[in-house]
Amino acid sequence: MAINRTSPKKGKVVDIPTAPTIGTATAGGGSASTTFTNSTVGGPYRSYIAKSNPSNITATGSTSPIIVTGLTEGTPYTISIAGVNETGTGEYSSASNSVTPTAAVSYESIATVTLSSSQSNIEFTSIPATFKHLQIRGILKSTVSPADTDYGYFTFNSDTGSNYSYHRFQGNGTTTGSSGTSSGNYGVLGYIVPSTGRTNIFGTFIMDILDYVSTSKIKTAKILSGLDNNGSGIIEFNSASWRDTSAINSIRFISATGNLAQYSSLALYGIKG
Amino acid sequence: MAAGATYEPIATTTLGSNTASVTFSSITGTYTDLIIVANLGSTTTPSVCLQFNSDTGSNYSMGNLYGNGTTASSSRQSNSTQMNFNFVDPGTTVVATAIYQIMNYSNATTYKSVLGRFGNAGTGTQATVGLWRSTAAITSVKLMLDSSGPLLLSGSTFTLYGIAAA
Repeated sequence: MAINRTSPKKGKVVDIPTAPTIGTATAGGGSASTTFTNSTVGGPYRSYIAKSNPSNITATGSTSPIIVTGLTEGTPYTISIAGVNETGTGEYSSASNSVTPTAAVSYESIATVTLSSSQSNIEFTSIPATFKHLQIRGILKSTVSPADTDYGYFTFNSDTGSNYSYHRFQGNGTTTGSSGTSSGNYGVLGYIVPSTGRTNIFGTFIMDILDYVSTSKIKTAKILSGLDNNGSGIIEFNSASWRDTSAINSIRFISATGNLAQYSSLALYGIKG
Repeated sequence: MAAGATYEPIATTTLGSNTASVTFSSITGTYTDLIIVANLGSTTTPSVCLQFNSDTGSNYSMGNLYGNGTTASSSRQSNSTQMNFNFVDPGTTVVATAIYQIMNYSNATTYKSVLGRFGNAGTGTQATVGLWRSTAAITSVKLMLDSSGPLLLSGSTFTLYGIAAA
């Protein structure tokens, strides 16, 4: 292969990268993750491009490994990797071991919100009905202070009637406890406020909402939440239900007594059945 | 709302011999959360711990909730040199299961929180929240035992996944 040594920068000639040393390819859901050792020549501004064989599907990255997605389940692929810099794309490496992707992923990202400033709520609306279950993952902090006293709440479809119930099981580092309610106006996520002065600490949770598009069942959710403050905090399991058979098309998260703080971040995912 | 595929396997390790630790390194900031799924045992009965970015300072803390089939308990550790994720005996065969959810690992503005579940059907079940008091993006995760003598058993498996938000 001819090597192009021209350069857009006056007075400088940068060699295009030599071929990286291919590592190991590992199959994933409709994907292949391939490790490699960097090119020894060429730079700066170096990145890498991975290409599948067959189909020439590509992905780019700056470090090993690179994951090529969009591969067909059941089809064997090899992956080759080339370095890229301001001069051009270098030669491709030798082919990796052959991998056969498994079924395409059934866990998909729907939407994410990260607050650039404090806000009264985070709401996901127009949630598509194309999944079986939903998962929401995130970090939350309230503007309330001080001291571990604020909860995260959620509502479905803007319903603030007395239609929520839950049972919680928690530990505070010393004792365990359990509580519940049968007619709340909100669902409870868990504690989201660390002690005063701990500005970088956020509560965190993972919430699974089951069979959210059903129109014949009340809706149930399970939540694992936690907040650690290097000396205080809570870890908690929560089973919640919304006594309504409507399909869920929106979910709102609020603080019990304050606003949601800057950098609070929630991501909504759909899980196919 | 547009949906996009995610939950990608990043790396998998199956131990071919008894080993002191497993490290996932050069983790890119491509994803929003990391998940480590492990099936493990150890040569004796120590706790399984995490360290991030080779930080061995006293920057870790955690709270635990666990039950052993008879009683429920909660405990806490502060200013630790590692994030200790199980008080349930992992067992001396490869029967324990662990899932560590490392939340918002790549941002540079918040301390990093981890939600963990650990279980051994023969000894108990546990949930843990951990905190690493660093705003640095996590680029490596070391799984190890909390004392230097015991080893992770041959046949233990550790898989790192990445979840990307839309």
